[in-house]
Amino acid sequence: MKYAYIFIQIGFLYCLNFIGITIQNKFHLMIPGSIIGMFILFALLNIPLFKEKWIREGSNFLNKHLTLFFIPATVGIIQYSSLLNGSGLISVLIVLISTIVTMVFSATLSYFLSSRKDQKKEQLIRSELNGK
Amino acid sequence: MANSILFIAITIILYLLAKKIYSQYSFPLLVPITTSTFVIILILSNFHVSYESYMNGGKWIHMMLGPAVVSFAYPLFEHKERLKSHFLSIIISVFTGTIIGFISGVCLSIGLGLKQDVILSLAAKSVTTPVAMSITTIVGGIPSLTVVYVMIAGISGAIFGPYILTLLKIEHPVAIGVGYGLASHGIGTVKAAEYGEVEQAISSITMTLSAIFASLICPFFIHIFIK
Repeated sequence: MKYAYIFIQIGFLYCLNFIGITIQNKFHLMIPGSIIGMFILFALLNIPLFKEKWIREGSNFLNKHLTLFFIPATVGIIQYSSLLNGSGLISVLIVLISTIVTMVFSATLSYFLSSRKDQKKEQLIRSELNGK
Repeated sequence: MANSILFIAITIILYLLAKKIYSQYSFPLLVPITTSTFVIILILSNFHVSYESYMNGGKWIHMMLGPAVVSFAYPLFEHKERLKSHFLSIIISVFTGTIIGFISGVCLSIGLGLKQDVILSLAAKSVTTPVAMSITTIVGGIPSLTVVYVMIAGISGAIFGPYILTLLKIEHPVAIGVGYGLASHGIGTVKAAEYGEVEQAISSITMTLSAIFASLICPFFIHIFIK
């Protein structure tokens, strides 16, 4: 029975994805359909009439097995054996370096911004407590 | 038809095995995406199966990526308050991080003398696959090559991320989520989910925002750097 629920809920998520893709094509948007679908679902979840449990099981299932859905696209690397020769290898190396640089930079920046904010909040709570 | 079902079955079984191995030895190099992809590639090349015939079955699994992205709305909704309180930090990091990711890739490529169509194809590598492909089409690169670079960015982030974050002594859930979401999109988000639900939610909103930013700035920056 649980799997029937999951199946129906994924069907619903698939419909939202399809609606998103239709909107993208209709208005020639640069944002992909799946992300438009995500915004639609987010809006729906904020409507009190829409119950979280209608999509919870299906969403959790998809989230849990996200890696599986990436496998077919990743296997596509097989078509580019030229990536193993000179300039191909350099391009792979560039992507590696650039990914590491991006992660170091963005994690450090948001760490700095977010932990400063948390400190401020803590100070605020403390000063309120002291005031009382 | 029979082959398609066989490829679907192989993919699912190898995925489950890879996951099992990873839960036993959670060594970063063994993230399930790497091990399962590696074994499938070995099988395909040993039996001389083309990628097209693999995808006759594979496309059914690939098709689930769309609804999976839609379902990201659920963790976002669940952690709405957390996101709200860190909104400014996330926005600023995403905006600068997207630009850094783009410029570092393109500048290194120009510096090392890569061909123009390769540069145009790797420019959008930090962005989630469907968006990266449409960006590449717009700037005039090769979309199927972009998928490869996007996957390399994703996998390398999932492998090196734990080392980088330990080295930088970063434990803040927002920073972890932003780091993975920006550098490694969906695969990074899977990795961020290992840390916790907040990290996953932050990572998926970061990935989404960076996809939107990138589709706005990439064509513009490409124009400045290349043409």
